Amino acid sequence: MAEFTLDCMGEACPVPLMRTEKKMTELNVGDVLVVAIDHSCAMKNVPEWARKQGHNVEIEEVDDGEWEVVIEKVK
Amino acid sequence: MKETVNEFWLKISSNRFYKRLLKEPFTYVTGAVLLAVFATAHLAVFSKGWGVTSAFADWGAWLYRLAGGNVDQWAYFSSEKAQKTLSSGFLNDGGSIRNLGIILGALAATLFASEFKLKKIKSKKQVVAAVLGGLLMGYGARLANGCNIGALFTAIASLSLSGWIFGLFLLVGAFIGSKLLAKFFM
Repeated sequence: MAEFTLDCMGEACPVPLMRTEKKMTELNVGDVLVVAIDHSCAMKNVPEWARKQGHNVEIEEVDDGEWEVVIEKVK
Repeated sequence: MKETVNEFWLKISSNRFYKRLLKEPFTYVTGAVLLAVFATAHLAVFSKGWGVTSAFADWGAWLYRLAGGNVDQWAYFSSEKAQKTLSSGFLNDGGSIRNLGIILGALAATLFASEFKLKKIKSKKQVVAAVLGGLLMGYGARLANGCNIGALFTAIASLSLSGWIFGLFLLVGAFIGSKLLAKFFM
């Protein structure tokens, strides 16, 4: 049940999504990845991809234009 | 007093109309319908399809003039129409005003959603890629006589075959671009 973070601040689409996809392969089932983003389109496509994969996803707006996408790997 | 003000903003930010219209992104379908309506309105009002990048070429010419250059002999600006646009200036050019509107509108939208942020530059690599990418896009848009709006969206909507051909090569470019992106930014 480890927690990982991925700092994607200052990165534009599709880099956050590509990095998230890659990072998720390193996680074990039950692990959590927190992706920090400040690009609003990544706030749409990262959760969309993760949900499509069947993972649990939560989005938190931490500040103006800053989000944390919390992804729990379920399979 | 401060607390009432805070309460006021909290109330607005949890209002469902605020959320639906200003905070949350529109769905793809809503976006597509709005684009179709505005593109049709553009054609009806101005008798001209919507485009973006040709005005940027004029911005470049004006900047070049400010720096003391002269584009009068350039083939691209040689037509009477191009010369007229350049001589009547920024404020008399509808395309320039429309582009300014896109930029100001985007700024307003991000302010309304309370999502405005000055982003930090992460690396020199990012700067190089942004500058190179911008130059390639601008140059490519002039060679193709339009960008993904003028040469793709408007062309396809006008039932022109050129839009589909542009789209095909846009995919080729996006494929190569994504390979480069994976190589240099992953």
